[in-house]
Amino acid sequence: MVLKAFFPTCCTSADSGLLVGRWVPEQSSAVVLAVVHFPFIPIQVKELLAQVQQASRVSLAVLGTWCHRQQESEESLGHFLEGLGAIFSHEPWLQLCRERGSKFWSCKATHQQRPGTPGVSSEDHVMLIFYDQRKVLLSHLHSPTVLPDCQAGDATASAEGLAAIFDTVSRSEVLFCKNQFDEGPVRLSHWQSEGVEASILVELAKQASGPVCLLVACLLSLVSASGSCRLWKLWPLPFIASKLSTCEQLRHRLEHLTLVFSTQKAQSPAQLMRKANMLVSMLLDVALGLTLLSWLHSSNRIGQLANALIPMADATGLWPFVSAPARACVHWACLGLELVPLSSLLVLMLILTAHPSNNNNTTAASPHVAEELQHLLQWLMGAPAGLKMNRALDQVLGRFFLYHIHLWISYIHLMSPFIERILWHVGLSACLGLTVALSILSDILALLTFHIYCFYVYGARLYCLKICGLSSLWRLFRGKKWNVLRQRVDSCSYDLDQLFIGTLLFTILVFLLPTTALYYLVFTLLRLLVVTVQGLIHLLVDLINSLPLYSLGLRLCRPYRLAAGVKFHVLEHEAGRPLRLLMQINPLPYSSVVHTYRLPSSGCHPKHSWGSLCRKLFFGELIYPWKQRGDKQD
Amino acid sequence: MAYRGGGGHVKPPSALCSSVNSGKFSTCTALSHNICMVSDFFYPNMGGVESHIYQLSQCLIQRGHKVIIVTHAYRDRKGIRYLTNGLKVYYLPLKVMYNQSTATTLFHSLPLLRYIFVRERVTIVHSHSSFSSMAHDALFHAKTMGLHTVFTDHSLFGFADVSSVLTNKLLTVSLCDTNHIICVSYTSKENTVLRAALKPEIVSVIPNAVDPTDFTPDPFRRHDSITIVVVSRLVYRKGTDLLCGIIPELCQKYQNLNFIIGGEGPKRIILEEVRERYQLHDRVRLLGALEHKDVRDVLVQGHIFLNTSLTEAFCMAIVEAASCGLQVVSTKVGGIPEVLPESLIVLCEPSVKSLCEGLEKAIFQLKSGTLPTPENIHNIVKTFYTWKNVARRTEKVYELVLKEDVLSVDKRLDRLISHCGSVTGHIFALLAVLNYLFLIVLRWITPDSVIDVAIDATGPRGAWTHHCPHSEKRGENEKVSKTR
Amino acid sequence: MEDKRIFSDICGGRLALQCRSYSPFCREFCVSCPRLSLRSLTAVTCTVWLAAYGLFALCENSMILSAAIFITLLGLLGYLHFVKIDQETLLIIDSLGIQMTSSYASGKENTTFIEMGKVKDIVINEAIYMQKVIYYLCILLKDPLEPHNISQVVPVFQSAKPRLDCLIEVYKSCQEVLAHQKATSTRP
Repeated sequence: MVLKAFFPTCCTSADSGLLVGRWVPEQSSAVVLAVVHFPFIPIQVKELLAQVQQASRVSLAVLGTWCHRQQESEESLGHFLEGLGAIFSHEPWLQLCRERGSKFWSCKATHQQRPGTPGVSSEDHVMLIFYDQRKVLLSHLHSPTVLPDCQAGDATASAEGLAAIFDTVSRSEVLFCKNQFDEGPVRLSHWQSEGVEASILVELAKQASGPVCLLVACLLSLVSASGSCRLWKLWPLPFIASKLSTCEQLRHRLEHLTLVFSTQKAQSPAQLMRKANMLVSMLLDVALGLTLLSWLHSSNRIGQLANALIPMADATGLWPFVSAPARACVHWACLGLELVPLSSLLVLMLILTAHPSNNNNTTAASPHVAEELQHLLQWLMGAPAGLKMNRALDQVLGRFFLYHIHLWISYIHLMSPFIERILWHVGLSACLGLTVALSILSDILALLTFHIYCFYVYGARLYCLKICGLSSLWRLFRGKKWNVLRQRVDSCSYDLDQLFIGTLLFTILVFLLPTTALYYLVFTLLRLLVVTVQGLIHLLVDLINSLPLYSLGLRLCRPYRLAAGVKFHVLEHEAGRPLRLLMQINPLPYSSVVHTYRLPSSGCHPKHSWGSLCRKLFFGELIYPWKQRGDKQD
Repeated sequence: MAYRGGGGHVKPPSALCSSVNSGKFSTCTALSHNICMVSDFFYPNMGGVESHIYQLSQCLIQRGHKVIIVTHAYRDRKGIRYLTNGLKVYYLPLKVMYNQSTATTLFHSLPLLRYIFVRERVTIVHSHSSFSSMAHDALFHAKTMGLHTVFTDHSLFGFADVSSVLTNKLLTVSLCDTNHIICVSYTSKENTVLRAALKPEIVSVIPNAVDPTDFTPDPFRRHDSITIVVVSRLVYRKGTDLLCGIIPELCQKYQNLNFIIGGEGPKRIILEEVRERYQLHDRVRLLGALEHKDVRDVLVQGHIFLNTSLTEAFCMAIVEAASCGLQVVSTKVGGIPEVLPESLIVLCEPSVKSLCEGLEKAIFQLKSGTLPTPENIHNIVKTFYTWKNVARRTEKVYELVLKEDVLSVDKRLDRLISHCGSVTGHIFALLAVLNYLFLIVLRWITPDSVIDVAIDATGPRGAWTHHCPHSEKRGENEKVSKTR
Repeated sequence: MEDKRIFSDICGGRLALQCRSYSPFCREFCVSCPRLSLRSLTAVTCTVWLAAYGLFALCENSMILSAAIFITLLGLLGYLHFVKIDQETLLIIDSLGIQMTSSYASGKENTTFIEMGKVKDIVINEAIYMQKVIYYLCILLKDPLEPHNISQVVPVFQSAKPRLDCLIEVYKSCQEVLAHQKATSTRP
C-alpha cells in the first residue's frame, strides 16, 4: 500500500528536526503533528511524548526526520539525520527533505529491521498530503451524507479512514497548547493559537457564565415547581392547556431555557451546537417580540390602528358590498366551479376580524362576522344559487344554526368588556417572544371563530350519517352486507320487507342529501379557511422555533467548522518525486446543516396526505382539530 | 452491463459452435437473429404468457440467437435486468392502466422502443398476447421502422359483446400487415383467423410446452383421502363460479374428499363464503397466490386435477398436472380437447352438473384402480410438449419471415385502407403516417449514429456465451440497474 | 502524461476528455462540455425581451419591461450558478479514495470524496434516462455492515453523460488503479 504522510502546512518552513506524530498501521499513514527542533536531548523528547500521550491518549511517536536545506553547508546534516533512526526506532522510518532552491520535496520511507531479512532496508511509495492543522483541529467531521440509511454502521466505522486522522489531530490538542515562546527543554514547531489572553472579554464572559447559569437554573426550577403544583392538575385545566397553543409554546420555551442554562457541561459537540442554536433562536425570538411591542406602543400606534379599524369594521355600508360577492362566490362554489374567489374573499373577512382581535377591538367585529353568517344562513334557507332544496329540512337546519348564532352573539356581548382588558394585558406578552405573540394570535383566532367550528361539526356529523346510511343501503341493493367481524363485504339474502324498507329509506336519504351536502360544503369551506390561517401562523412559529441559526451562521462565517468531508488538490508534480496533495475541508452544504441541526418543533402536526384529506372531506369525517390540538372547548 | 475488459466479444461468429457451453444444443444455425420479445406480461407477473416468453427465449439463446425482452416496470422493478444466461430484460417506465396492461396512446412509447430497437440492432420484433397494448404498440412502431414482425396470440375471444368487437377490430388493424402470426392451438388459429380476417397461410400453430423435469410425480406425498387440486387465477374466465357449485355437491356425496385450491383473484371471496356456509374448513384449503416453483409441490399432493376454465386457447395447467401424474378433469372449451389424448383427460361441458359427473367418473376410476400410475402418465406426457421443439419451430418461422419483405409505407397504407374497412382503415392510415413523421423527427433529434450499440449479452457475439478472459467473473445480477 | 481527446455525449454534443496521470496510482479524468455560447445567450435574451415588448405593447405597463430585465438577469445568474456544469473531474488516488468534482460555469465547485475503504468497484451500467437508454459509469459503495453487498450506486459524470467509448476509456484506466490497489493491499 502506498504510504501516506500527512504533513501540516504550518511546518513547511520550519527548521530541520524530528517528525513527531502518530502512525496508523491499518491505512499505512503517518500523521505528522509537530517538528522537534535541534538541539534536543533524546530522553527529554521521549519524556515529552510520554506526557502528551498520557494526556491525550494518542500513541505518539517519533516518525522520522525533517530536513529543510536552507544553506548548502548543511550537507553534513543529512548523515546525522540518518543516524537518528537508530535512537528512535520506528517502522517505517520517514525521511522528509525540502530542497532549498526548488519547490519539490523528496521523501523516503525505509523499513530497517524487517523480520526475516535483517539489515536490508526497503523503500515504499510515499504520498505527501498537506493539511491545515488549525482547520482540521477545529472542524467537526460529519458522517458522510453519502450513506444516509446506515447510521448504525457509521458508529462503528467512525475510527476508520479519514476520521482517524481528524480524530488524532483533535485529540492531541494538548500538544498545541504548549507555547512556542515557553522556555521548555524541547523546541517544537506546530500550529499556534493567537494567544488566549487576546480577548479578556471572552474570558470574563466564561467566568461569569457559571454563576449566571446557576441563578437562572434556580429561577427556572422555581417556575417549573409552581407549574407542577397540584392546583393546575384539577380537571378542566390540563385539557384546556393542551388545546391552547400559547401554553404549548410557553412549555416549549421553558424546556429550552432549562436545557440552555443547565449547569451540566455539554458532552458532545452536537449537544453544544444544539444549546447554542436554542439560545440564538430564543434571543432572536425575544428581539423580534420586543421590536413588535415597541412598534405597537410607539406614538400610540395601537390607538391609531384601532381607530382606523373600528370604522372599517363598523361601516355597515361596506357589508352589502362585501356580502354580495360572497353570495356570488358561494353560488360558484355550489356549482363546484370555483373555490378561489370565495376563499380570497373570506380571507378579507377574517383579516377584518383578526386584526382587531390584537388591538382591543374584538367586540366590534365579532358580531359582524356573526351577522354575516346570519345573512349567509338566510340566503341558504331560500333558494341558494337557484338550487331547489327540501324546504322543510332546509328550514329546520337554518333555524338551528340561527339559534346558535344568537347564542354566540349573546355570549360575545357578555364577554366583551372583559375580553378587551384581558387582551390588552395579554398583548404585553410579546416581550416573551414573537412566537408567544403569534401563538396567542392563533388562539384568539380560534376563539373568535368557535361558532364556525361548531357549524362545521354539526354539518359534518349530519353528512357523515347520510353517507354511511347510503353506502350500507347501496350494499343492501346488491345483496351484500358488511361483515364487521371479518372486515369484509359478504353476500347475504334479504327478505322482501327488508328490501322494501331499505328502498324507502334510500330514496329519502338520496333526496335529502343535496340540502345537507350544501350546508356541509359551505361550512367546511369556512372551516378550512380558518384552519389554513392557523396553520400558516403555526408554520411561522415552528420556523422560528426550529431554525438552527447558530449553525447556519457558523457555516457562513467559518465554513471549515462543519466538515462534510475533505477534498484533495494535486500540487505541482515532477516525475520521480513523491506525489504531493493538499487536503482541504469540504464544508457541509446548507441544506444538510439545516437537516442535521434542526431543533425539534413543539407543534404536533396533523399527519394527513392530500389524498386522505380529500377522502375525509368527502366522507364527512372530521378533519384536523378533532383528535389533535383542537379548538377551545370552553 | 459492465464492460468486460479485453476484446473477448469481437470473436468471429464461427466461434459460436465451439463456445456453446453444453453439447446438447450444438446445432449450429446458419443464421442468427436479433430478436426482441415484447409483451406487457413478464415476470414478476405470473402466468402462461410469462413462462412461455421466458422459456422460449432461453431455448433461443441456447440455439445461438440474441434475445432481449421488453416489458413495463413492475413497481420498483424498473430499468434493465439480466436473467439466467444473460437474458436481458428492459422494464420500461410506462404507466399501467388496467390489468397489468399499459395505457396506449400509440405514440408515447415510440422514442424508447425505437432507441432500444436501434441500440440492440433488432431484426425481428416478436410480440405476445393480444391483451397487451404494449405488444401492439411495438408491432406498430416496428412496422414503421421497417423491421420484421411476428405475433403470438395466447388467448381466445368471443365475437358478440362490445369489448370483443372493439378488440377484434384493433387486432385486425394490428395484424393485417404483420409478417407472421403464431397461435398455440388449432382452435386458437381458427379463432384468430376469423377475428382478424387473416389469410390462414400466414398463421402457424406452435403449441406451448412444459418443462417435464420441473413437473415430476411424487406418489408418496399424496394424501390418503382423495384430493382434488385446482390451480388457477380466481377470476371469472377461469370458471371460479362453477367451482363454487361443485365443491358443496361433491363434499356432501363423498365423505373423504378434499379440495386444495391455489391461486388468488377477485373471486376468492365467493369461495370463502362457500367454505363458511357449508362448514368445510377442514376439507377445502385455500392456499392463496402461488409461486411458479411451488406449483409442483401443490400438484403432487392430489389425485385429480380440476380445470373449470370458460375459455382457454391452450391450457398449460392441465399439461403440468398430467406431467405430475394427476388425472385431469376439464371443461371442453377452446383448444383443450387438442392438448391431451382421451385416455388422460375427462372432458365435460362447462356446467356444474356435467363437471360433477366427470369428477365422479374420475373418482370411480381412481377407487377401482383402473387409472394408470403417475409414473406412466408422466412418461407419456413428457414426450408431448418440449420447449426445444417450440424453439425449433419458432426459429423456422423467423427464417420464413426474414425472407419476406417488410411492406413499404405506401403499400402498408394501401393494405390498411383495403383491409380494415374504410373508416378504421383511413384513421389508422393517418395514424401510421403520423407515426412515420414522428419517427423522422426523432431521427433528426437523435440520429442513429449517436445511439450507442449495446454490448450483446447473448447471441453470436454475446459476452455471456463466451468464456470470460478474466478469471474472476462477477455475478451480473449484482449489477444494480437504476432508473433516474 | 496528459492527453486530450474529443468524444461526444449521448445527444451528440462535443465533449473533451482530458486524462492526467500524475503517477501510476493517481489519475485524473476531466470531462468538459463546451462553454455557454454567445449565440444561444443572445437568442434567449432576445426572445424574452421581444415577448416582454409584445406584452408591453398590449398592456402599456412599463413594469413588464423592467420585470423582463430582472427575469433575464436572475435566470442567467441562476443558470450559471446552479445548472450549467462546465467541467466534471474524477480523481482516483490509490489507497486514498475517489474524488468527484463538478465545476459550475460561475466557478462554484461541488466536491465529493469517497474513501477507498468504502469503494467496492467501478462499473459501467445501463439505465433508462428520459426517453433514452444510456450507459453510465458508476461507483459501487460497500455496505458497511456486510462488505459483500452494495449499499449505494454513485453515478459519475452525471451532467456530461459521455458515450460508451469515452466511458470505456475511463473505466479501463480506473480498473488499472483499482487492480494495483488490490494487489498492494493484500501484500503484508
